[in-house]
Amino acid sequence: MSMQATISQPTTQSRSRRKLRLRASTVLRHVVINIFLLVVVLPIAWIMLLSVKTLPDAYSGKLLPTEPLTLSHYDYVLTRMPQLTQNLTNSLIVTIGSIVATSICAVLAGYALVHLKTPGRALVITICTATLFFPTRLLSLIPIYEIQRAAGLLNSVWGLILPYVTLNLAISILVMRGIFEQIPSELAEAARMDGCNAWQALFLVMLPLITNGLVVLIIINFVTAWGEYLFAATLTNDQSKRTLIVVLARAFGGVGQFSWPRLAAAYTLVIVPGVVIFALAQRLYFKGLTEGAIKL
Amino acid sequence: MAAVSTRSVRHAPLFARGWGNWIFLVPATLFFVGYMLYPILRTLWLSFTDYRFLRQAPANFIGLQNYQFALADPMVATGLMRAAVFTLIFLPGMIILPLIVAVLVDRVHSRPLSTFYRTVLLIPAVIPGPMIFVMWRLLYNYEIGPINTVLVDVLGIFTRENAPQWVGNPSLVIPAVAFFEWWWGLGYHTMLFLAGLAAIPKDFTEAARIDGANEWQVFWHVTLPRLRPILAVLVILRFGTAMAVIEEYLIFGGFNRALPTYTWTVYMYDLAFQIGEWLQGYAASIGWLGAIGTLSVTALLLWLFRNRDDR
Repeated sequence: MSMQATISQPTTQSRSRRKLRLRASTVLRHVVINIFLLVVVLPIAWIMLLSVKTLPDAYSGKLLPTEPLTLSHYDYVLTRMPQLTQNLTNSLIVTIGSIVATSICAVLAGYALVHLKTPGRALVITICTATLFFPTRLLSLIPIYEIQRAAGLLNSVWGLILPYVTLNLAISILVMRGIFEQIPSELAEAARMDGCNAWQALFLVMLPLITNGLVVLIIINFVTAWGEYLFAATLTNDQSKRTLIVVLARAFGGVGQFSWPRLAAAYTLVIVPGVVIFALAQRLYFKGLTEGAIKL
Repeated sequence: MAAVSTRSVRHAPLFARGWGNWIFLVPATLFFVGYMLYPILRTLWLSFTDYRFLRQAPANFIGLQNYQFALADPMVATGLMRAAVFTLIFLPGMIILPLIVAVLVDRVHSRPLSTFYRTVLLIPAVIPGPMIFVMWRLLYNYEIGPINTVLVDVLGIFTRENAPQWVGNPSLVIPAVAFFEWWWGLGYHTMLFLAGLAAIPKDFTEAARIDGANEWQVFWHVTLPRLRPILAVLVILRFGTAMAVIEEYLIFGGFNRALPTYTWTVYMYDLAFQIGEWLQGYAASIGWLGAIGTLSVTALLLWLFRNRDDR
């Protein structure tokens, strides 16, 4: 409250004091942010450090290693556990399949919802939003098990893609709607004047303009499909048909094949692709977000 | 392009109002109906039957019997209670912590620094959920996990004998799960708040400062009211997801009924895919009870957060 006086009658002294206080608050702000960053980074760093510790160091209960670091656990996981490579392939198939299928659905739907005079647009958007508030996954699991069994898709890697598409379908459509809303309708109008039909307008005119939005879509769907557990654990039984996540989530740390540092090495191998993809696409991702993808 | 403009007449109907445009919505609709709408309705139907998967017999309609049984089943009440306790612990932190971080990061003026902060904060958001859970199971380990190592060896608050059993102790496991959920969601929620903050015109906050408001008053009277829509969405969405959490519980507590991780969702899964003849009819009724319970509170929250601009 006393600031009112200082602002209405600024004196050099109060101004410099204000500047000093401002600087102190800036420092404090960065310190607090960095504390949060440390809390975010340290657990990951510890897991990565564990993955290069020797076995005695890993089980010593000390934070820092006493013996030289080793890459032997990565070597073991990558070369002596062929099962995991199979699981990794499964994960890749399911993830890429879901990303492609969901993105096609969402781009087509988002386009029709914004740039075409589609009847029932409001209803579609309402349904998409409503599913976000509903425990859809829990309430659809039992019949999905039946469907997959009837279709002979139980225990099938490719079969997992079908239920996976619905996991993020609603949010993906809403994201694409936000992206398409950023494209002026005059552009669609101009394309139409030039003789494009609705498909050509989408593929020739709109598609190059929604790449940032696609990045957001790919990241959202990558994280979900790559890390999905409930469907994958329920709809597949054979260890060789399971995704990497399910196998790792069920492998309890201990001694033997899945000793702690080996688990940590496997975790690191699973975590790193996502982090790298994100770091590389980060600029596009933030652009996509500010372009309205986040408007939910 | 101009040369083909005569064709526009022929193609014009595609752009016009018409059900023909629904062809763009067909793929999404097929997935939605086949793998979401039909299964959910089928679950509703199953909840009125005595269906047991392994009995290989058709489902018989038994009316509300499953629901009557579920309402009298102490495991259902306990399971809903446990989920509610987790939600109560989880929700405030999942809203307030990202809000604080967002307000701080929003005022970082250096572009590269701001991007760096955002990127690091978002790292956990791109780690698959189950990896987060198993990672934290190692971090929480009673004997050699780094959290207890810090508490015992570095800070000396506990000894090896009385160090907290984060996963094994029924009263600690729920806060432990809530904590790593905050850790996981911090970056993503911060981004949502930052998007909300970016939409507030700087003139508003500047004007308030010139009028003599301090930072706290600016936040409370200018910033927060403008974040209200996004706050409402996040509180309601996270309430729903927190009540329906299952994977964390399956990975942390398994099917141990004594642990507070055995909530209604785990009970439902246990009944449907583990116990005896797979009582899927009964499990379906528990699923719907949980969903109805959650949705009633969601409706209440929607009403609480309703637009009150008419004041």
